[in-house]
Amino acid sequence: MNREAPRERRAGFLARLSAGETVVLAIITMIALAGALLVGKGLYMKAKAELSQVLLQRSFAAELSGETGAKPWPWADFTTEAEITAPRLGETAVVLAGASGEALAFGPAHLSNTPQPGDSGTAVIAAHRDTHFRWLKDVKPGDLLVVTRKDGRRLAFRAGEGRVARWDESGIDADAAGHNLALATCWPFDATTRGPMRYIVTAELIDAEGRSTAETHDIRLLAEKNGS
Amino acid sequence: MSLDEQLARTQPSRGTMTLGLVLVFAALSLSFLMLAGLFARAFAETSPPRETAPGLVRPNDMGTGALLFPSPQPGYFVEAPRLATDVEIDVTGPIMRTRVTQRFQNPSKGWVEGTYVFPLPEDSAVDVMKMQIGERFIEGQIKPREEARQIYEDAKAEGKKTALLEQQRPNIFTNQVANIGPGETIVVQIEYQSSVHQSGGEFSFRFPMVVAPRYNPQPIVQTVDLGSTGYAVGDPVPDRDKIEAPVLDPKKNARINPVKLSVKLDAGFPIGTLASPFHDIDVKEDGNAGRLITLKADSVPADRDFELNWKAVAGKTPQAGLFRETIDGKTYLLGFVTPPTEAGANEEKPHREVIFVIDNSGSMSGTSIEQAKESLALAISRLGPDDKFNVIRFDDTMTVYFPSPVSATPDKREQAIAYVRGLTADGGTEMLPALQAALSAQGPVAKDALRQVVFLTDGAIGNEAQLFEEISGNRGDARVFTVGIGSAPNSHFMTKAAEIGRGTFTLIGSEDQIAARMGELFAKLENPAMTNISADFDEKSVRDISPNPMPDLYRGEPVVLTAVLDGTSPKGMVRISGDAGRQPWQIAMDVAKASEGKGIAKLWARRQIDDIEASAYTAGNPADVDKKIEEVAIAHHLVSRVTSLVAVDVTPSRPNGEPLGSAKVPLNLPAGWDFDKVLGEEGSGGNAKHAAAAPSPEAEMVADMMAAAPTARAASMIAQAAKPVALPQTATLADRHILIGLLLMAIAAMASIAFGIWRWQMQGLATANAGSRYEP
Repeated sequence: MNREAPRERRAGFLARLSAGETVVLAIITMIALAGALLVGKGLYMKAKAELSQVLLQRSFAAELSGETGAKPWPWADFTTEAEITAPRLGETAVVLAGASGEALAFGPAHLSNTPQPGDSGTAVIAAHRDTHFRWLKDVKPGDLLVVTRKDGRRLAFRAGEGRVARWDESGIDADAAGHNLALATCWPFDATTRGPMRYIVTAELIDAEGRSTAETHDIRLLAEKNGS
Repeated sequence: MSLDEQLARTQPSRGTMTLGLVLVFAALSLSFLMLAGLFARAFAETSPPRETAPGLVRPNDMGTGALLFPSPQPGYFVEAPRLATDVEIDVTGPIMRTRVTQRFQNPSKGWVEGTYVFPLPEDSAVDVMKMQIGERFIEGQIKPREEARQIYEDAKAEGKKTALLEQQRPNIFTNQVANIGPGETIVVQIEYQSSVHQSGGEFSFRFPMVVAPRYNPQPIVQTVDLGSTGYAVGDPVPDRDKIEAPVLDPKKNARINPVKLSVKLDAGFPIGTLASPFHDIDVKEDGNAGRLITLKADSVPADRDFELNWKAVAGKTPQAGLFRETIDGKTYLLGFVTPPTEAGANEEKPHREVIFVIDNSGSMSGTSIEQAKESLALAISRLGPDDKFNVIRFDDTMTVYFPSPVSATPDKREQAIAYVRGLTADGGTEMLPALQAALSAQGPVAKDALRQVVFLTDGAIGNEAQLFEEISGNRGDARVFTVGIGSAPNSHFMTKAAEIGRGTFTLIGSEDQIAARMGELFAKLENPAMTNISADFDEKSVRDISPNPMPDLYRGEPVVLTAVLDGTSPKGMVRISGDAGRQPWQIAMDVAKASEGKGIAKLWARRQIDDIEASAYTAGNPADVDKKIEEVAIAHHLVSRVTSLVAVDVTPSRPNGEPLGSAKVPLNLPAGWDFDKVLGEEGSGGNAKHAAAAPSPEAEMVADMMAAAPTARAASMIAQAAKPVALPQTATLADRHILIGLLLMAIAAMASIAFGIWRWQMQGLATANAGSRYEP
């Protein structure tokens, strides 16, 4: 009897609601559920981006030790390409090859139509503004950016000014003179919708002594172009 | 005690009731305001104003020949004022040679590097480039690509006039012109060879003439409003008049862009009808089969390309033709045959067995998979009840939907479409097993049926050679049709796969192309006019017959083949045979009776280059392929992937005693040069000087928008910023999802509170009413 009472009361509460009120309650429940689902989906995307980096680190380590074409997980549709570090900000991310929408969900991606970082020209690495390149807005002119390529070479780049451009008018020339790196992410940083604007930080390769390799580039410009 | 009883006992006063109502109202309106704000912000962000000045263009936008100068805005160019255009087209039988001469002007006061763009037909062979820059004449020489670029860069750095014509893709050429001085005029002349389009007995060609609208500069007129106080208030947008520069309608302003066009048509058969659908033309008869066509004097390039169509006199439509050209002791042949349209027409359509293969790997995620699904659903719904079909999907795993091909009954089709619509893109790309399943594991082809494999993918794969081998080894009688999905599919792989598979490649770049492009594909899939076509020569020295293998023909299309034979007077017959439906069909032509035609060797060379490219996967060593292409291209003076035209200064030296800079343009034209058509347009060279001295308002406007450099050296630096890299989408919707989710939950919470309060009040009212009823 005692146990029966709460159930009766509950049933009684629902039963006492008119049809209209039931509909209103149902709608409220559905809105709450939809909200919870959306929050879950958003958090899942963030978690995926963060957690996958652990697996990517492992795969990149294998790549560094000479294994070729190692896939982070068997059903992955991309390979790891490099590692980018911003020492001042203490941020590190494994860079993937080919900027398909899927690869970008897991890490920064190197655009395959641009040269490798450190090679002649401008290499472009893009990543999401709300995950892997959240720190890009904090990169100041003069900051060091260290790229470890999968062939084991560690290259240091010095960041320049950041700028904003449309995605199809980036002003980045893949065959530009010098050895440049461009990091790109979406702009504005705190927007919640997709837009056509991108924030671009360009950096140029510096040698072991910390001098810009571009200081000598005016003289070498011709020789290099001819050589390449 | 139940909650309701408790509620019923609490008698709300009037005050609390009003307060509750106000609270509910406030909560609801607040949440709506928040939602509205969110959407307004989203809207504002998705469509920011484009900060592009009017008149800036991109190379891909050009519908006709244009000289582009870099603008300060990266990736954008300014179109140089086009002073005159002269077009001469020579049609001999199925071959046409086009010569385009255009004159431009550098309106700025600085040195610039310009890029000349010209849209070309897919199969054209470019072999001549001549230019006049200022007072220098230069002519393009064919060189290996690297060497040509080096010559160009060297000359550019030395401040010399130079030009470089490179092939970027088979139908995209760029011509860079360095060191154009202030106010100088540039004359560009290019010549190319192409073949006349034939379809259903009608011959036609198209010449690109779409002129982008020009912006007409207006003086800035600032209007002020003298108020009652006597002080003027300025317009808040001082450049308003400049921003809203009116567009100059090219139709009404022929003088700005004069075009002369003449066509010498030698059809090779009596001409019945001749028409230009978009332009008024004057036609002069030149014998029975010849015509001279010119644009009517007041006809100007509007927004349409020039098109010319001609047909033979009724009953004289050629079914076949054979032309030859003898160069260096070799005979180059060009033959075309239109299969009889009656053949196979009265027969019923052959039954088809269509195997659809769809790629749902991770690289297809996003819009690509949606387009692929949409296209595939459309394809399945078009099947007839007599056809059989099957669906295979693959990522790093694979599913064959039906165990073997099934008849396309309505419910099987529905079933398959539902399956396709449910696919999601994830996982790696393992194409080989799927290809094997499609080509060799679908059982034998039914008698008289056509096996067609339709492959929908973005082609993001690494083992191309292996896949090509699989197709060429196991295709049997099947035809492989590839459908490229997404904005940047691997068209190289898919074009080759279709060629080896004797099918076609269809490119679907965006959602709105699906219906039209798939429609074209269906027409081909459903109406093959002739299959198993081959060509046999009596002459044993015949080589390099192209296309090889011969593709299937569709209604109204001709076979156009090229070949080369040793010796200057080959004999014997050429026999072209095929199957029209179930009926064998053959035609024989006497090689010795072929008529003479110009430019056949170049067309042969162009096709030869395509064939060498197509066989690249079997050659193994890419350097060998490049070497072969280079040999053919240099021998025939053609621009190709590995050869470029680089301009070499051929100007006659400046006469002694003539002060630099005061010479009139042109001095002496080198022998064999024919620029007078465009130079004569507005009073020869003196005009160029005049233009430099007192530039037209339009030229001034262009000059304002150009990134001109003070020296030739700086010009090359500016030109660096020419080809921008497109950046991918780098915003996830995660934050948005979380935000909207939280908002929805907040709304739900507020709504339930409101609901609770409302119920509580209703309860209170009911009790109050009940009380008042019973009390007295």
